Amino acid sequence: MDRRRFLVTPLLLPGFARSAASDSPSAGAVVYAEVEPGRKLVFPRDHGAHPDFRTEWWYVTGALDEPADSGFQLTFFRSRPGIAEELRSPIAARQIVFAHAALTLPGVGLRHAERAARAGLGSGLSSEDCDVWLGPWRLRRLDSPAGEFLRLQMNARDFAFDLTLAATRPLLLQGRDGYSRKDAAGDLASHYVSWPQLRVSGRLLYDGKGREASGKAWFDHEWSTRILGSGAVGWDWIGINLADGGALMAFRLRSASGATLHAHAAWRDAAGRLRQFDGPEVVFTPLRNWQSARSGASYPVEIGIRIGELGVRTVPIVDDQELSVNRPARVVYWEGLVRVEGSLSGRGYLELTGYAGRVPLAAG
Amino acid sequence: MRRLAWWLIAAQFRTRRTATLLSLLAIALGVALGYAIHLINDAALADFARAMNTVQGDPDVVLAASDSAGSVPLGVLDELARDPAVEVVAAVIDTRVRVDGTATPLRLLGIDAFSAAAVMPRLLPRPADDSPAGGILGGRVYASPALLEQLGLRAGDALTLRRGDRHWPTVVGGELPGTGAGDRLLVADIAWVQAHFGPNGAVSEGRIRLTPETDPARWQADHRPRLPVGLLLRAADDEGRRVANLSRAYRVNLNVLALVALLTGAFLVFATQLTAVAQRSTQFALLGVLGLAPRMRLLQVLLEALAIGLPGALLGLGIGYALALAFTQILGGDLGGGFFSTSSPLLVPRAAPALGFLGLGCAASLGGALYPAWLNRRQPLAQALKTGFAQNPGAHGHRFWRLPLLFALLVPAAFGLTRLPAISGLPLAGYAAIAVVLIVGVAAAPWLTRTVFGLLSRRSLSPPLQVAVQNVAQAPLMAQVAASGLIVSFALTASMVIMVASFRSAVDQWLDHVLPAPLYLRSKGTPLPQALLDAVDRADAPFARVERTAHGSLTLDAQRPALALIVREIDRRDPGTRLPFTGPLFDAAPGEVVIWISEAVEEIYRLRPGERRRLPLLGGDIEVFVGGVWRDYARQFGAVVIAREDYTRLGGDFAPTDLALWPRSGDEAEALRWLAPFTAAQGLEVSTNGELRALSLSIFDRSFAVTHALEAAAMLIGLFGLAVTLAASVWLRARELATLGALGFDRRMLGRAVMLEGLLIAAIGLLIGLACGLAIGAILTQVVNPQAFHWRMPLDVPVLALLAGVALTLAAALLASRHAARQATRLPLAQVLASAQ
Amino acid sequence: MLSVVDLSKRYAGASRALFSGLGLAVAAGEIVALIGESGVGKSTLLNCIAGLETADRGSICIGPRATDVVRLDEAARAALRAQHIGFVFQAFHVLPTLSVEQNVAVPLLLSRVPRSEHARRIGTLLERVGLGGFERRWPASLSGGELQRVAIARALVHRPALILADEPTGNLDPRTAGEILDLLLERTRDQGAGALIVTHSQHVAERCDRTLLLTAEGLR
Repeated sequence: MDRRRFLVTPLLLPGFARSAASDSPSAGAVVYAEVEPGRKLVFPRDHGAHPDFRTEWWYVTGALDEPADSGFQLTFFRSRPGIAEELRSPIAARQIVFAHAALTLPGVGLRHAERAARAGLGSGLSSEDCDVWLGPWRLRRLDSPAGEFLRLQMNARDFAFDLTLAATRPLLLQGRDGYSRKDAAGDLASHYVSWPQLRVSGRLLYDGKGREASGKAWFDHEWSTRILGSGAVGWDWIGINLADGGALMAFRLRSASGATLHAHAAWRDAAGRLRQFDGPEVVFTPLRNWQSARSGASYPVEIGIRIGELGVRTVPIVDDQELSVNRPARVVYWEGLVRVEGSLSGRGYLELTGYAGRVPLAAG
Repeated sequence: MRRLAWWLIAAQFRTRRTATLLSLLAIALGVALGYAIHLINDAALADFARAMNTVQGDPDVVLAASDSAGSVPLGVLDELARDPAVEVVAAVIDTRVRVDGTATPLRLLGIDAFSAAAVMPRLLPRPADDSPAGGILGGRVYASPALLEQLGLRAGDALTLRRGDRHWPTVVGGELPGTGAGDRLLVADIAWVQAHFGPNGAVSEGRIRLTPETDPARWQADHRPRLPVGLLLRAADDEGRRVANLSRAYRVNLNVLALVALLTGAFLVFATQLTAVAQRSTQFALLGVLGLAPRMRLLQVLLEALAIGLPGALLGLGIGYALALAFTQILGGDLGGGFFSTSSPLLVPRAAPALGFLGLGCAASLGGALYPAWLNRRQPLAQALKTGFAQNPGAHGHRFWRLPLLFALLVPAAFGLTRLPAISGLPLAGYAAIAVVLIVGVAAAPWLTRTVFGLLSRRSLSPPLQVAVQNVAQAPLMAQVAASGLIVSFALTASMVIMVASFRSAVDQWLDHVLPAPLYLRSKGTPLPQALLDAVDRADAPFARVERTAHGSLTLDAQRPALALIVREIDRRDPGTRLPFTGPLFDAAPGEVVIWISEAVEEIYRLRPGERRRLPLLGGDIEVFVGGVWRDYARQFGAVVIAREDYTRLGGDFAPTDLALWPRSGDEAEALRWLAPFTAAQGLEVSTNGELRALSLSIFDRSFAVTHALEAAAMLIGLFGLAVTLAASVWLRARELATLGALGFDRRMLGRAVMLEGLLIAAIGLLIGLACGLAIGAILTQVVNPQAFHWRMPLDVPVLALLAGVALTLAAALLASRHAARQATRLPLAQVLASAQ
Repeated sequence: MLSVVDLSKRYAGASRALFSGLGLAVAAGEIVALIGESGVGKSTLLNCIAGLETADRGSICIGPRATDVVRLDEAARAALRAQHIGFVFQAFHVLPTLSVEQNVAVPLLLSRVPRSEHARRIGTLLERVGLGGFERRWPASLSGGELQRVAIARALVHRPALILADEPTGNLDPRTAGEILDLLLERTRDQGAGALIVTHSQHVAERCDRTLLLTAEGLR
């Protein structure tokens, strides 16, 4: 694992991480587990960490009704860079945890915070169930007589939230029972579990005032060892809770020329029927770009997606949802709350990377 | 009016060039010394604080173990990290390691790059551009630029770090761009440091940054009770306070010495201005007759004093800066005090202290001129115009009857002050007692002069002597003026000589006691290698006896510097053969843990011999028995000795750093040869008893080098004062001397009379000065030193040195008197007589 | 210009009053000689008038506003002297550390005469007392007569209402004494000031407008 690779680990976002197994001399010391089709996922065990794999993330996005048109996002990443593997110390930097959180508040602005730590020193992961923490930030899965729920806690200088996300629908195992391919050949893949239509309650804190929060959230948990091909400069991704109770996920990997390297989508309708779409069935078309005054990057914030016979388009709640991650390296991308219109309608998150220059990923 | 004042000042400078210049120089000297001490100390402190800041960063609160054997468990850190009031906890392992080829151990800081960025950004490494895989997390070591240069290493070079028997072969990853030019530091990933040098499952410190809305004091108060035993929370400011506390007493003492120089300067101004007023009494009377307001007669003298004080103080600031530069180059930033190990700190003069010292110089000058100004204001115009200066204007009958009353009040006051405790760690009452002694001494001068010379003048003496004696007896004020500077300067010089001599002989005897072995082997902080420890115990080792010592530290009060914890192989039942106890020894019950505390511990933390106390030892809270109090001149902030058996019984890991060695058959050379392979490989230091002793004493002498300069300055100023006043008094009494001349005294006899007078005044001044010096010496050794440094010592008066000082001063006084006498012989007698009516 | 009424002075510890119930007046432009034996209190009277000593009783009114010296405090007397009185002493009291010019300037500085006038007044007066060109000289280089000329210039330079002179020619040889007296009288009359001159010399007394004799019994 080379250092620069490790530094950009926070960019290994849902669905678009890439493999870096082959390059580093010291990585020879570690043998990562490989994603294999047909592996039966068992819960809650598989909600927990999979430290044998190279990367892993727990990713929660939510569109709120209260405060109206607001959105939140909390992500924990785990990275095993393959360094200090043989070191006999409980705080050896074998597993690194990054987290970032954002709040989209129309009329107020976009709040963003990030943290990083090594597991064992100010941060920890459970391998039994979903429980990952970094300082006072924490994401946990819990059971209650009323059913399962997730608890999200974070605080930063200018905002904080403490939210409970109650399950209303079953888990959505992406790809084939949670085995999600990232290229046509099947060399790159991840285990990918989504949990749409989580009912949000709890409190937000910003501008010194606490506010009740309610809405719908989407949870993604994905782990892999080789996930990203070498030709990609960035990716587009959506995760949408549909108004009728259904769920829609779609992504594509882009090459330098803007061509789609690989695309995939999943649609679960209100009745719970799941349809998967691959390759040519999923087509992304930029409809309107928004240019950032800060970075100069132009993002297709309105993007049309044809999924089989379906056609949807994204409409951002706020155009400026550009984020700049500084720790440990500076990366600029767009990630924010959108409405989806067309054959299906709902709200969710759109992620656009690789538009503010090439995402600094080391070649695999 | 201003114009007139300026004319008079200019005239004063023109006509009394020497005296005015001397006063100006004296003020300059006082200001220079004070300012130089301030500058040097300020620079050293700032340098120290900056270096500390680099290492510690900028946390709100520090979580640390209360003794060096303890550490902060990872679980405690994790728990704190989850507190929403905590923004980040930066864990640190702080240890010392050796690098092959360096004599002294180096500081190695294990940091967590993720959290260090927020709290200690200056410790973050800059990896070399061609750095291959790994970086800091991969186990590379980064060094400050100064250290890289010293070691001759570059990024990519291999090096091995050693601590005791553990070693870590690693590679230099690059440099630490945030460190200062003088910093010698190694930084590596905390996990790598822990894996190689420990502590297992723990770290040295957690440096905590709280959220902005959290009050650090309240947060600490909330968390302190929940803290596991053996850990402490302290405000990050405490560290700065500890640094300042470190040298405060020493600094204050030096500054008091500088004030002494200033005080003697003030006396010189007093003498100069008083004689100036006396000389110009007719002129001032004339100005008064012409309509100069009485207030202006007062102000004029003060203005003249300011005209001396201001340029004097300005000159002093310049000289002080130059002195500070010179001193830092020669002695280093601690003025030989041994507090800071930095080389030559950068002097950064700031406006406020410079203005302060400027003000102090002016104040000293004005203070000296107050009484002369008052006298000038009080001169009866018509009379002064005719008969000249009145010593006691408006006073009929002398006020000497008040003196016994004054003494009856002041002497017990001085005694009372010496009984008062230190105020916030400073012996302020002791200083006040010194001031009272000086006041008593100066006030006693006229009374003593009148009494002694009154008695003498009744005896039949040779004419010049008779004249001299009578003069002194009749003009006690002038004698007081001449003597006061001498009294003050000699008293202070004598007291410093007494204090330093007492201290030195005490240190000398103490060294006998604390260095019983012929040879000492020291590693300066890192544990000795096991191979050596095993070897010295083997039968073929050339040693009759070996005693091992380990060093640690212990914090009882987060705002004070840590105590030294000394683990020694010492006989629990008979520690008196190894430690210089000052009082009785108390026997502990067999199962008890005994500690022996230094005097400083007794005084600072109020531990009493014979009592049981709980101390934070080995990460626990242990009840210990205080077996006795011993004298320690080495560690001003306190030391605790514990026997090895007790320490290991408590679970302590005894890792010796020092060995005391008794070579078999007294053959030290053989022993040194035997030790050579170990010392050469490990960079250990072997010294003989004699070398250590010489080193200690030379450090002692160096630390008091500055005081000698101050003594010399004070004496010089005192003698200036004598010379100026004597010369002036000749001028004042010109008519009287002329009359004597008319009555048949030849010029030689006149000269001799004046010279004798000077000597008599000097003798009185020296007598009183010596008495005051003895009193102040006693106060310094018995009150000031114990209170400021917790150093107690018996009073030891160096009679020979003092007598030599008296003789030297008398000789100098003789020269000063001769100068005055020469003026007397040059008086134009006829003209003087003619002008008198 | 000067009026003394019912003035008494007795020194502490003395068995009887030095003088009592004295009265005298000096009009503007009038020059009065005060003669009497040694110890009879001439100088004390002069000192009382100048406010250098305090009379026990009576009043001494000086100047255009007839300020009573006896009732003034020390600072006010000094101010009064600076404003309205010029002095000439027997012992040529000149400030040795100031130049001739500076010596003469002292009363100007004390009485706050505008700075712009100083040079002209000093120049004119030094010319008139025969010391033209002596401005930058130091007192040490002057003869007794020259010193007394400086003193006269100094006494007159601020145009006082009253000149007080105590044996102004006592230390001079007869010829110089004559010149100095001429100068003093002439210049005083020039300025229209009143003068009270204490003297032993009959010659001096004769040159004055009026002579007062002080005896143990009083003024005559």
